[in-house]
Amino acid sequence: MTEDRPLDGDTLFYVYTVIEASATDALPDMPPPLGGGGLRLVSAGRHAAVVEAVDALHFEEEPLRGHLEDLEWLSAVARAHHGVVAAVGGATTTVPMRLATVCRGEEGVRRLLAGADERIAEALVRLAGAQEWGVKLYAGQPPEPPGGGTVGGGPAAGAGGGRDYLRRRLKDRDVREASRTRAARTARDLHRELSRHAAAAVLHPPQDRRLSRAEGLHVLNAAYLVPAAGREAFLDAVPPPDALDAGLRLEVTGPWVPYSFTAGADEEAGAAL
Amino acid sequence: MSRQQRVELDPDTVERDLARLVLTVIELLRQLMERQALRRVEVGDLSEEQEERLGLTLMLLEDRMALLRRRFGLTAEDLNLDLGPLGTLL
Repeated sequence: MTEDRPLDGDTLFYVYTVIEASATDALPDMPPPLGGGGLRLVSAGRHAAVVEAVDALHFEEEPLRGHLEDLEWLSAVARAHHGVVAAVGGATTTVPMRLATVCRGEEGVRRLLAGADERIAEALVRLAGAQEWGVKLYAGQPPEPPGGGTVGGGPAAGAGGGRDYLRRRLKDRDVREASRTRAARTARDLHRELSRHAAAAVLHPPQDRRLSRAEGLHVLNAAYLVPAAGREAFLDAVPPPDALDAGLRLEVTGPWVPYSFTAGADEEAGAAL
Repeated sequence: MSRQQRVELDPDTVERDLARLVLTVIELLRQLMERQALRRVEVGDLSEEQEERLGLTLMLLEDRMALLRRRFGLTAEDLNLDLGPLGTLL
């Protein structure tokens, strides 16, 4: 991309999030989050997208695909993405696009908006006045003493040692399985209870441990869409730490802009490029 | 961030990395064998003598694994390869 004519029809636009076309005040005033041309609005009909012209060197289809494997690059983009979405979300109801949604030219952005017009409109209604809360439940690493079974006597422990060893391992395994089952049941009950206090709920797959950097097994990773008015009731439904089984750890985050409840509003994103 | 998750063949650490790779495979087999053994003990289709021999063998294996891990400065967790969306190997 040349600096002389930065905004021709081939310019790539990173699409952060979508708002109602009338909500132009919600465009945040911040330095270019992705080091591109800075934030601006592209509108089509009743909706407008918050976009930034970005460098084709990184965001053209091919290099982008490579970057998506790169956790460090991704997390930088995710931070920029989230910064913009949070700023916009603080000012108006917004429907965040999927991370790394890129369109070719303003025309591409308008096509994206037009193609998802109904879904965006629905999502804006659904998300108005509601916030997202994340709830994660971790089970402590099941007690599996590596080599712990052989403390003391070692392999020469004498007659009966082999059978004892097997019995011991059998017991260890049963304890582990029981605690896993308990954790799964707690997760299910918790999810059911919290869902009753939320307008909507989604279960996410367990997180990549490299990203979460959390110890233990991820037994619940859920997001709840909670109307602002129901916030107290929802948070009250979250059990206090001492009400949980030993070894379970609960993590509640929020309130977020409801990323998890856009329900395909950005489905067209891939095709729009 | 993902440095320790990868088996990197660096000249300085090549011996340890190779050991880690080999021990990971052995540990996987050991755990599969143990699981199978426990299942058979549960079902009860082994004689006492067979159980004893099997138990001793597994015990010995575990002991040797711990020894080898120590020699290369590896923890049990080091042998647990991260398979991304599939979870961990062990």
